[in-house]
Amino acid sequence: MFGIQDAIREVTEKFPTSLYVSTCGFITRDLYNTADRPQNLYLVGSMGMAAPVGLGVALARPDKHVVVLDGDGSFAMNLSVLPLIAEHAPDLVHVVLDNGLHESTGGQRPVRIGDPAALALAAGYSAAFSVDSAEGLAAVRPERGVTSLVHVKCAPRGAHAGRRVQWTPQQVVERFRAEAVA
Amino acid sequence: MTVTQIEPAPAGQLETPAQQLVRAFAERGFTHFTGVPCSLLKGVFNVLEGKQAPLADGLTYLPAPREDSALGVASGLAAAGARPVVLMQNSGLGYSLNVLTSLNLIYDLHVPLIVSWRGHDGNDAVEHDVIGRELTNLLDVFDLKHTVFDPEKPYASVDRCLAKAEDGRFTPVLIVKEGI
Repeated sequence: MFGIQDAIREVTEKFPTSLYVSTCGFITRDLYNTADRPQNLYLVGSMGMAAPVGLGVALARPDKHVVVLDGDGSFAMNLSVLPLIAEHAPDLVHVVLDNGLHESTGGQRPVRIGDPAALALAAGYSAAFSVDSAEGLAAVRPERGVTSLVHVKCAPRGAHAGRRVQWTPQQVVERFRAEAVA
Repeated sequence: MTVTQIEPAPAGQLETPAQQLVRAFAERGFTHFTGVPCSLLKGVFNVLEGKQAPLADGLTYLPAPREDSALGVASGLAAAGARPVVLMQNSGLGYSLNVLTSLNLIYDLHVPLIVSWRGHDGNDAVEHDVIGRELTNLLDVFDLKHTVFDPEKPYASVDRCLAKAEDGRFTPVLIVKEGI
């Protein structure tokens, strides 16, 4: 298995121009420290909301591609959003970074999420992938214009995340909105 | 930005308070409605679901599985330049508090909320007793600026509600006490 930060880097290189929404805690901090860009809408709280926020972004800007970076804990927190997203079939890739831990809060065990790819397909996503290596993730080519989920089994960081997002929440929104409407 | 086109009401046909409420938000530039129903808001959801007449061009309605997810979708819409409104029963405010306090209020993504008020007179079904008694206190604690909808004056009610947002500085709440 490869590291969660490597997985985030791989995703940002795979989708360099997309609009991103990242879930709170270490995943937002990893995205910030890996590839800070105005196109990133960093959530610092509201666990479980990255996916619905991503749907809202996609509905407001149907011309743009959206990437949601979720964790296994935050994904489990809001499974009811899967059919909501599927109903609207946005141009969106829902990435579930599954290190099997609530690492941001000290490494506690989340509920086991089973098979997120199967859950997504059952809810109506067009496609779903499950990978557990850098090569596997690199080989995934989600079709554009449809909704897909990529379940990435990855290793815990084993170290502290990088620094917190230095932008204020208002700055995050201001620069994100400028990119979204451009 | 979506351009909202509102057809005028057919001549001689009076609009219901619910129709006027939706029209008022639409004419003020709002584009998306999302939320979870309440019986007191049945008429509004009928309008949004297009049961009487197709929803006006430029307006979109999304049923949400939970009130907090409705706020999440609305936050994404607002962050990307659209103008959403969220509807819920007052019971849904409980689910919503985390999203309000750790997303909407700190990112200044202030989305109007239309919140019904079950239990406002202490004489409703028991499950509404506590939240009904505390609704306005709860809104005040989080500085959510509320005003009560007057079915006799839907447009003025919406304007009064939106004025409380003070150009995006606060989250305005339109409380619906009686079924519309």
